[in-house]
Amino acid sequence: MTRRIFLALLLPLAIRAQIALYTVNNGAEAPIGAVLDMGKVASGDTASVRIRVRNIGTKTASITYFFADGVGYTIDRPSLPFTIAPGSVQDALLSFSQTTVAPLYPANLRVDSDINSFSTIVIANVVLGPALTVFPACTGSNGPPSSIDFGSVQTGLLRLCNFSLQNPSAQAMTIATFKVTGTGFQISSGPQAPFTIPAGGATAFAVNFTPSAAGTYTGALAIETRTYALKGTAFNTPLPTPLLEFDAGAIQSAQQRRLTMRLPSAASSSASGNVNLAFVPDTTLATDDPAVVFLATGTRSLPFSVTQGSTLISISGQTSAMFQTGTTSGRIRFTLTGVATVGDATTLLTVPASTISIDSAIATRRTGDLDIQVTGFDNTYSAGLMTFTFSDTSGAALSTGAIRADFTQDFRTFFTKTQAGSAFQVRVSFPVTGDTSGIGSVDVQLNNSAGTKSQHLVFQ
Amino acid sequence: MRLIPAILFSVGCATAQIEIPAIGAIADSSGALRQVQGVAGSFLLGPATVPGVLSAVCSERMCLVKTDSKILSATGETDAPAGPAIFGLAANEAMAYFPESGVFARWHDDTLEPLDWVVDGQVLSIGLKEIAVRRDGEVSIVDPDGSVIDSIPEASGPVLLLSDGVLFATGDEIVLRRDHGEFRFELTDAETITAMGPHYAVVRTGHGIYALLIEAGHEALYQLPGSTP
Repeated sequence: MTRRIFLALLLPLAIRAQIALYTVNNGAEAPIGAVLDMGKVASGDTASVRIRVRNIGTKTASITYFFADGVGYTIDRPSLPFTIAPGSVQDALLSFSQTTVAPLYPANLRVDSDINSFSTIVIANVVLGPALTVFPACTGSNGPPSSIDFGSVQTGLLRLCNFSLQNPSAQAMTIATFKVTGTGFQISSGPQAPFTIPAGGATAFAVNFTPSAAGTYTGALAIETRTYALKGTAFNTPLPTPLLEFDAGAIQSAQQRRLTMRLPSAASSSASGNVNLAFVPDTTLATDDPAVVFLATGTRSLPFSVTQGSTLISISGQTSAMFQTGTTSGRIRFTLTGVATVGDATTLLTVPASTISIDSAIATRRTGDLDIQVTGFDNTYSAGLMTFTFSDTSGAALSTGAIRADFTQDFRTFFTKTQAGSAFQVRVSFPVTGDTSGIGSVDVQLNNSAGTKSQHLVFQ
Repeated sequence: MRLIPAILFSVGCATAQIEIPAIGAIADSSGALRQVQGVAGSFLLGPATVPGVLSAVCSERMCLVKTDSKILSATGETDAPAGPAIFGLAANEAMAYFPESGVFARWHDDTLEPLDWVVDGQVLSIGLKEIAVRRDGEVSIVDPDGSVIDSIPEASGPVLLLSDGVLFATGDEIVLRRDHGEFRFELTDAETITAMGPHYAVVRTGHGIYALLIEAGHEALYQLPGSTP
């Protein structure tokens, strides 16, 4: 009766008050009345409630006193004194924890401002909580915070955690709250709440974790007053080793080829990654060949993906990807990154050394010069030695015979300097005197380490 | 072996100039002019040079670039009607058509002379003395006075007049038609065909830029690197 009178006296004060107190739960405010009941708290656990002090007056309030006077209670709030502007709020966290079981732990929660005061009674009931044991392969921690780790699980598979819930007390214990929340977590066996555990008894249950996609998962296991954080991670199933295949025909330089990728068996989960290419030249004159790229992007990496149940791998959303082989002999290495595979999918293509390839060639006359212009590539980077045999307009070779010229150093300098592959356009000029109109053609031999390439050119 | 005493070779004095082969030039997807280098089947795009390029064509002797208000060449620039241009290149001159203004002009030595050509229909390509136009869904090749020389009923996309033939797009092919034969290349959704260099045309589609080698005896279609929009 005395307590009721005391509380009734408080109400008018609260109505006139400049500050008011609320609890905040999931963002929702609820006014604090005469009593704030923190409910049952398991021995050793910590229960917390967010307290909001709101200035509902028109003047700035200076908070000079803000305590919960009682055993086991603490408040996390700004240092005193602090001010709250009209219409503004200040949050604080009221916590309670005790190990000794007792039905009532009271405290006086009081907030004093320079205008008014607010006071309420806080109560909590410390009970002996059930004890939880988790069995391998899962691990647990009593915290705080209490947590259970399901470890790392392959997507699509199940990880089962077995538990034992014991009642250490001398009386039967009723479990009214017993549930699991969180995507991927589910109680697979055990009692349904409410249920009773006899004094000194135990009950078994199991929780499974079945992630559907790679990532980190969190959930919660709530047993009466205690909540255990559940966590687990999932990784994608390794793909069957992808097969990298190429369109038909021998690999050579200056080709645009098609890469397709497939799986030897259906993917058990969807996956994605990147297919990359790299080039290692045979020559020491160049460190790379920049023309060896995927054509769609001009780069050396493309994304790929495969859907669960399929053997088809799409590359940049297409069924295949085109790439260039460049103009350098060497090895093109295809690798996959960003995805786990059962085996190594690395695939090597060898671009063999070949004789000089001629794209176009032309022989022209200028006053005082005969010019032979050749456009092509030398994938061995060893070009330079050339032979020119000029003929008259009837096709008979001139008395000069075969003229040898060695431009090896010029080519080496060119290749080394440009680092742009071996494509070249060379114009060889022969200074001549006299009438050149009788010269009808020239047979050109271009040599490299792979052999000799011949070309017959008629002067324009 | 025949002796030609009138000619004297300076044997041993032969010189060689070596450079990266240039195939032509294109305006890339960002509108920058880029040289296309390399050989057939192995292309490299050179660094971006002129920005804001609306049209670009190259022949063996010259390249012309149309920006919003000018025509640029290796020797200078000249004011030109706004918007893109359709060029027909000859040795040292070019015919130009400006679709936004409907004006024909002759370009030479960095000067532009308007022409009194009047052609009905959508101009697709021009040569020195002929124009490819689309009228009522049909492609015709006409004289500057409008008289029809030929028609290409099969053409449903862009057209490029060549000195010795015509290049045009159907729904799923590029057709290279010359007097002595015809080549067909499977390629869908061609949007434009222009001259990229002396031996190449560039075909733009919604899914890439392609280089078509039109040199007789070597006809082939390639994709240019980094060309997906």
